[in-house]
Amino acid sequence: MAKFVTIGERLSTTAPAVNRAFTNRDPEPILKRAKEQLDAGAVYLDVNIGPAESDGEELMKWAVQLLQSEFDNVPLALDTSNRKAIEAGISVYNRSKGKPIVNSADAAGRIENIDLAAANDAIVIALCNGEGIAKDNDERMAFCQMLLERGLEHGMEAEDLWFDPLFLVVKGMQDKQMDVLECIKMFSEMGLNSTGGLSNNSNGMPKHIRPIMDSTLVAMAIMQGLTSAIVNPCDLRLMETIKSCDVFKGNTLYADSYLEI
Amino acid sequence: MPFTAKSGKFNASINTVEIGTGDKAIKIGGENVLPLYSFDAPIENAPKVGIEITDFGMENEPDCIKKYYEGCDTLADIAKKAASFEGVDFLCFRMEGGDPNGANKTVEELIGALKEIAAVVDLPLAVAGCKNAEKDAQLLSKAAEALDGKNAMFLSAKEENYKTVGAAAGLAYKQIVGAESSVDINLAKQLNVLMTQLGVNPKSVVMNVGTATAGYGFEYVVSTMDRIKAAALSQNDTNLQMPIVTPVASETWSVKESVSSEADVPEWGCQETRGIDMEVETAIADIASGSNAVILKHPTSIATISNLMKELV
Repeated sequence: MAKFVTIGERLSTTAPAVNRAFTNRDPEPILKRAKEQLDAGAVYLDVNIGPAESDGEELMKWAVQLLQSEFDNVPLALDTSNRKAIEAGISVYNRSKGKPIVNSADAAGRIENIDLAAANDAIVIALCNGEGIAKDNDERMAFCQMLLERGLEHGMEAEDLWFDPLFLVVKGMQDKQMDVLECIKMFSEMGLNSTGGLSNNSNGMPKHIRPIMDSTLVAMAIMQGLTSAIVNPCDLRLMETIKSCDVFKGNTLYADSYLEI
Repeated sequence: MPFTAKSGKFNASINTVEIGTGDKAIKIGGENVLPLYSFDAPIENAPKVGIEITDFGMENEPDCIKKYYEGCDTLADIAKKAASFEGVDFLCFRMEGGDPNGANKTVEELIGALKEIAAVVDLPLAVAGCKNAEKDAQLLSKAAEALDGKNAMFLSAKEENYKTVGAAAGLAYKQIVGAESSVDINLAKQLNVLMTQLGVNPKSVVMNVGTATAGYGFEYVVSTMDRIKAAALSQNDTNLQMPIVTPVASETWSVKESVSSEADVPEWGCQETRGIDMEVETAIADIASGSNAVILKHPTSIATISNLMKELV
């Protein structure tokens, strides 16, 4: 089994400092956040430029080239609802360290992002959602099937579709948590890769609680077969948990210094 | 449906490590396939064979080894002779006499002997200690200094002395450092991590992960090497991509099958044949499990393994 793939989530326009940096094309705050995440062990970096309706293409190109030239062609997830911006990003992307990830497609309005990934030999995050949150796992798996078929029809390898069950917030949707975990198991039993925005679960919780909830959930999800997650790699507890899970699953060979490497 | 063979080559590869300098320098490692799987992808560097001599010269050697060194009076003569046998890629000098529980020779005496050898042999050199971690720290550090510029291989740094040996051989004199663990895959990885954290270039590290003589718990050796190569290649574990160097002679020439005389066990037949068989069988089993170099003693064993590698790779 391959090692768990962490996708660093901290380059996002939802953070005002990052938003400003993207808008002003100011490299310094972006590179700083990217470096923090890579030093902490992130494999991929998510580049969320928001909707970027007016200048998305130019902005995504700028961000991809900035990050890849500074950090030895670090692999990236291109995250925006602007499809042309994703294509523009891929057009300048160097894939020597890994294929680009299209973030994301769903089973409703964003299903064409699967076609986009197929046309560009990219990985795609396939969110098992239609309009609104799936009501149960029957619905999730129906969406999964639909997305998988769409990818295969367009010539993708199944391994390049990373299925996202959509992690749900505990505060308000506590009764749905086991469904999500069960869904990951179903992906895994079908041999599919999976990922998702894990920290959704702890939204709205006190700051000191979130690492505890996130690392517990990641361990439970990895047990179910989760192969990747979009996370805050600067959360030490979470990263230590992921490395420990990789040891238990045999994804990496144990050595006393395993947390340092 | 037609059969389409799928190559079993990996995206990761074992590090290539060069030992020695000039025309006689050798390279080990570099492959991106399982041991000897040359049908999956070309193996650039066939496993190499070293010959071992010790500071005792021929004193403790069995007659079947002694006879090949007839007329050699000094250690330098022995070294020259050893280097001349067919198939020898490098020479390993084992400073056995340094053992405080044995002859307890001084560091100066042994380094003197090493220099004597280095002066007359142009093959790549390996230096092995006396298996006492404390003494080896002194011996190997001084040896690294004595062989400055020769790009020699030092066997080995262990958990107890890796800081001293790694700092001298790896950092100060930029030689090749062997990291020794005893059939313990987790320790093998850990030592490489520690060595790298010390600042030693991972591309200057080789592993001695231990061996046994075939038949003496050898399945543990096989599984250790198998798992190291699997992690290095299929999981791209950079802390295990160091080539493996296995001293074989020092193991196989001490088991009863190799040392019992024909007079004692006539039903086992010729002692020399048995000794060679044990050495060859162990060496090829090590290579098939992942060793990139083996260190042997009997000229016939060396020629046999060397020729086998030429045929297979």
